[in-house]
Amino acid sequence: MLELKNIFRWYNSGVNRAFVLRDVSLNIEQGEFVSIMGPSGSGKSTLLHILGMMDEPNEGEYSFLGENVLKIKEKQRAELYKKHIGFVFQAYHLIDELTVYENIETPLLYHGIGSSERKSMVADILDRFNIVGKKDLFPNQLSGGQQQLVGIARAIITKPNLILADEPTGNLNSKQGQEIMELFKTLNDEGVTIIQVTHSEKNATYGSRVIELLDGRIER
Amino acid sequence: MLQNYLKIAIRNLLHNKVFSFINIAGLSIGLACCMLIVLYTKDEISYDRFHKNVNQIYRITSTETSPDGKVDKYGITGMMPGPTFKAQLPEIENFVRLQGESYNIKKGNEILVQDALKVDSSFFSIFTFDFVEGSPKTALKDPQSVVISEEVAEKYFGKVSALGKTLSINYDDTFQPFTVAGVTKKSPQNSSIKIDLLMPFHREKNHDDQWINFYLNTIVKLKPFANPKALEAKFASIYAKEAKGQLIEAKEKWNFQSTIQYGLQPFLDVHLSTDFRAANGLKDESDPMYSYVLMGLAVFLLVIACINFVNLTVARSVKRGKEIGIRKVVGGDRKQLIFQFMGESFVLSLIAFLLAIFLVELTLPIFNTLANKALSLKYLFDFQLISSYFLLFLFTGFLAGIYPSLVLSSFSPVDTLYGRFKFSKGSFLQKSLVVFQFSLAAFMMMATLVLYTQFDFMVKQDLGYDDKNMVDVSTGRMTLSETHTFKQELLQNPSIEKVAPRQSGSWRTIAKVNGKQEISFAIDVVDEDYLPTLKIPMVQGRNFSQDFPSDTSQSVLVNETFVKEAGWKNPIGQRVNFFSSNKTYQVVGVVKDYHFNTLHESIKPQLLTCDPKRSSFAQLSVKIKPTDIPSTLKFIEKTFKKLRPTQPYIYDFKDQSNQKQYEKEAKWKQIISFSAILIIFISCIGLFGLATLSAEKRTKEIGIRKVLGASALAIVSMLTKDFLKLVLASVVFAFPLAWWAANKFLENYPYRIQISTWMFATVFVLLVLITILTISYQALKSALANPVKSLRTE
Ligand SMILES: Nc1ncnc2c1ncn2[C@@H]1O[C@H](COP(=O)(O)OP(=O)(O)O)[C@@H](O)[C@H]1O
Ligand SMILES: [Mg+2]
Repeated sequence: MLELKNIFRWYNSGVNRAFVLRDVSLNIEQGEFVSIMGPSGSGKSTLLHILGMMDEPNEGEYSFLGENVLKIKEKQRAELYKKHIGFVFQAYHLIDELTVYENIETPLLYHGIGSSERKSMVADILDRFNIVGKKDLFPNQLSGGQQQLVGIARAIITKPNLILADEPTGNLNSKQGQEIMELFKTLNDEGVTIIQVTHSEKNATYGSRVIELLDGRIER
Repeated sequence: MLQNYLKIAIRNLLHNKVFSFINIAGLSIGLACCMLIVLYTKDEISYDRFHKNVNQIYRITSTETSPDGKVDKYGITGMMPGPTFKAQLPEIENFVRLQGESYNIKKGNEILVQDALKVDSSFFSIFTFDFVEGSPKTALKDPQSVVISEEVAEKYFGKVSALGKTLSINYDDTFQPFTVAGVTKKSPQNSSIKIDLLMPFHREKNHDDQWINFYLNTIVKLKPFANPKALEAKFASIYAKEAKGQLIEAKEKWNFQSTIQYGLQPFLDVHLSTDFRAANGLKDESDPMYSYVLMGLAVFLLVIACINFVNLTVARSVKRGKEIGIRKVVGGDRKQLIFQFMGESFVLSLIAFLLAIFLVELTLPIFNTLANKALSLKYLFDFQLISSYFLLFLFTGFLAGIYPSLVLSSFSPVDTLYGRFKFSKGSFLQKSLVVFQFSLAAFMMMATLVLYTQFDFMVKQDLGYDDKNMVDVSTGRMTLSETHTFKQELLQNPSIEKVAPRQSGSWRTIAKVNGKQEISFAIDVVDEDYLPTLKIPMVQGRNFSQDFPSDTSQSVLVNETFVKEAGWKNPIGQRVNFFSSNKTYQVVGVVKDYHFNTLHESIKPQLLTCDPKRSSFAQLSVKIKPTDIPSTLKFIEKTFKKLRPTQPYIYDFKDQSNQKQYEKEAKWKQIISFSAILIIFISCIGLFGLATLSAEKRTKEIGIRKVLGASALAIVSMLTKDFLKLVLASVVFAFPLAWWAANKFLENYPYRIQISTWMFATVFVLLVLITILTISYQALKSALANPVKSLRTE
C-alpha cells in the first residue's frame, strides 16, 4: 500500500543538523496492523506525520497507493490524504466548541457530503460506538476514553483505508485502552490498514507487525 | 458547512464574552461614527440638487485683481451684469439676482425682524420650489406683493390661508401693505436658498448702474448646450465695453485700477466653495474641509476598532490553533479555513453593524447640534445610502478579518497539535498596531488640549476694552436729537452708568495721509462717550469733546496701528484726506489698540469720527450696573418702545456676542474632544484585551515566579512594563506630529497660545495613567492569584 525509501528528516539547530529520522525505509501492505515503538524522542510521531502527509522529509521517497507523494501537487496530495487517511491522537483533539455529534460530522462537511447522508452516517457511527446518548455533549463533559472513541469515530467516518494513531491509548487507563485496541482490531478485520504508535507491548500484540525506532533508525 | 461555521462563530462569541464585548463595542462605535459622517457628507453634497435642470444653473462670480497682484474673489456682483449679459448673450436663458435683506414687519403691536431675499421676478423660472398656495408663474409679478414660506405664513397669520392677505412691511422707512401672492413649502434643508420672504427687486426706486459694486448674487440659467468657458470670455468683452466710462471715472475719483473678471460657477458648487462663498442671501456656506476632517476621524475610529479585532484574534490564535489543526487533519483546506475566519469576522461585524444603526438613531440629535445639521436616516434614505452602508459593513468585516484569517489558516497541524506552537510572527505586528492606536490617541489628546487652551485664551483674552455688563441696543437710524433724547432718558435710571451711540455694522474705507499715501482702515462713527463707556484708554492727545464744537466736522481719533501704518512720529495734528468725498480731518488723539474685530484677525488701523454727516447713529452701547440686571433690561425695553415704536427691539450683551464669535471653535472643540474620548476608549479596551491574554498566557510563569518569592508588585510591574513601553513608543511618533499639526493650526490665529512642554507632559502623564489603569486590573488579578492553583491546572 505504501512504501518509504531512505527517508531523512532533520531540523537545523544552529549550524548542526539535528536528525530525527535517518535513512528510514519501510513497506506496508494493505490490511496490515503495524505498531511503531521506541523511546520518547526517537522520531515516532515524525514518522507518522510523514506517512500522514502532514510533514515532509528532507530526503527520500514516499509512494502511497502508487502515487509519488512527494512529487505530486499539493492539491492532489490533499485529495489523496482526504480520501484515504484518518488520524487519531493521544490528546484526542476534539473541537471544544462543538458537540460530539458536530465533531464527528465535521470531516463529512469537508468531504462535501450532503446533509441527509451526513445524518445517517453520523447516526450509524454513534450507534456502532454506543455513544448515541452522548451526542449533544461537549468534549469536556466526556471521560478520556469516551473522547478517544469520538476521536476514532471522527477518523473513520469518512471510511479511510489507513488509520494513523499516535499513542491513542496514552492518556487512557488500561481498561479503556483495551477497548480502543479491540476497536482497532475490528476495524483491521474489516480491511482497514492501521499504523499506531504505542509504548505498550501489550497493545503491540494486537498488531501484526512491530517497527522499533531508535534514534531515528529502524531497529527491527 | 455554513451552519457549522456559524455555530462555531456564535459559540466562540458567547464563550469569550470579554473579547466579544471589546470587538463589538469598538466596531459598533467606529461604524456608527462612519455612518453619521456618511449622512453628514451625503447631506453636504446633496445641496441644491433638487432644482430642475440644476446643471444649467450657474452663479456669476467676480475676481478682482489689483495692480499689486492681490486677487479678491467674490461670489457676488452688482446689479448690472445680470441684465446686460442676458440682453447680449443668447446662451443665457434667464437670470435672477438675489440679495439677503431683513425687513421690519408689523404684527399687531409688535415689530418683528424678518429675514428676506430681494429677488427678480424670474426667480421661480430658474429655481424649483413647491408652492402651498399661489403659483410660481404669477407670484412675483406684482411689485407690491411678496412670496412667503409656510412657516412665515403661520408666524403672521396662524394656520389659516395666507394667500391674498397683506403684510405691513417697513420699506423705504415707511410701513406699506404688501399682498401675499404665494406661499411656498418649507425650503428643503439641503438648499442654499431658504425662502422666508421674497421681495421683488423691481420695487427698487433708484436703479444702481454701477459695475464696480458687489453685493448680490447673480444667477443665470444657460441654454442646455452653452459652453460656460466661452461665455466667460464674452463677459470680459461686454464688461470692457459697457463699464468703460465708469472705469475711467473710478480711476480719476478714487484711483481704482483693479481689473474685474466675471466667471461662471456651477450652482451645485456654491455650497462647498471656499473661494466664492455662499453669502449675501445664500445660506449654510460650508467647507469641504469639515467633511474631510470628520471622515478622517470616523475612519480612524473604525480602523482602531478593526485593529482591536486583528490583535485580539491573532493573540488568541494559540487557543484557536488546536481547532485549526484539527480541521486541517480531518480534511479542511486553507481556503475553507480562510472562509470560516472571514465568516466569523463578518458575523461580528454584522452584530456591530446592527448595533451601530441603533447607535446612530440614538446619537443623531447630539450629532446634529454638534454639526449644525438636521440629519436623519429617513430623509437621506435611498439606494445610495443603503449601498454605502452595506459597503461600510463589507469593508469592516474584510479589514478586521483578512489578516487574522490568513495567519490562522496558515498554521500547520503538526505544530499546533503537538504543543510546539510558538507564535512569534504576530508579535511585532501586534506591537506596531498598538503603537499606532496609541499614537493616534496621544495625537488626539494633544489636539484636544491645544484646542481647549487656544479657545480659553481667546475667550479670556483682554480685548483692550470692557465688554462686561454692556448692552448693545439696535435702534435703527436716529437723528442727533433722537439720539440725545434716548441717551438722556436712559441715564435717568441710576443702574445705567453710561450710554454711547454708534453707527451700526463695521465699515472700511480708504483715505490719503502724508499727502499721497493711501491707507485703508476701519471707520466708526461715535461720540465723546464711546471711549469712556468702553473704557478704551488714550495714549496721546484728547478725546472728542463738547468743548470743541468743531470736532464734529474736523476731528478724528485713530488707533496705534493706524499711526504705525501712516508712519507718523507726531500723530497729533496730522491730516486724513477722504479724497472721494473731498473732506479732510485732523487727528486730535490716539487710542490704545483694542480688538474691535474678533481675535481671528490682528488689529487693523481704525479711525473714529464723530461727524454726524458720515453716518447717523443706529446703535447704543449701554453700560449697566451688575446689580439687578433684569429690571434694568426692562427699563431699557420700556424706554425703547416709547421712543422707537416703529423699530423691533433687539439687544445683545456685548460679552455674549463676543463669545459667539468663537462658536465654530467651540463646536470643533467638542467634536475633537468627543473623538479623542472615543479613540482612547476603543484603544483602551483593546489594550485591556491584550493584557488579559498576556496574563493568561503567562499564568504558569507568574505562578512559578510567585512560588519562587516574587512580590505582587514585582509581578504587576512585570506585566505592565511591556505595555508601557509601547505607549512610550507611541508618544515618540505622536508628539512631533502633534507639534507640527498644532503649529500649522495655530498659524490661522494671529493671537495664539504657545505650544509648551507642559502640554506634552500633561498628555504623557494622562496617557501613562490611562494605560496603567487599563492594565492594572488584569495585572493585579494575576499577581494576587493563588500560584498553586494556576500551576495545578497546567
Ligand atoms: N519543529 C521541530 N523543531 C526541532 N526539533 C523538533 C521539531 N519537531 C520535533 N523535533 C524533534 O524531533 C525529535 C523526534 O520527535 P518526535 O517524532 O515527536 O518523537 P517521539 O514521537 O518519538 O517522541 C525530538 O527530539 C524532537 O525534539
Ligand atoms: Mg510522539
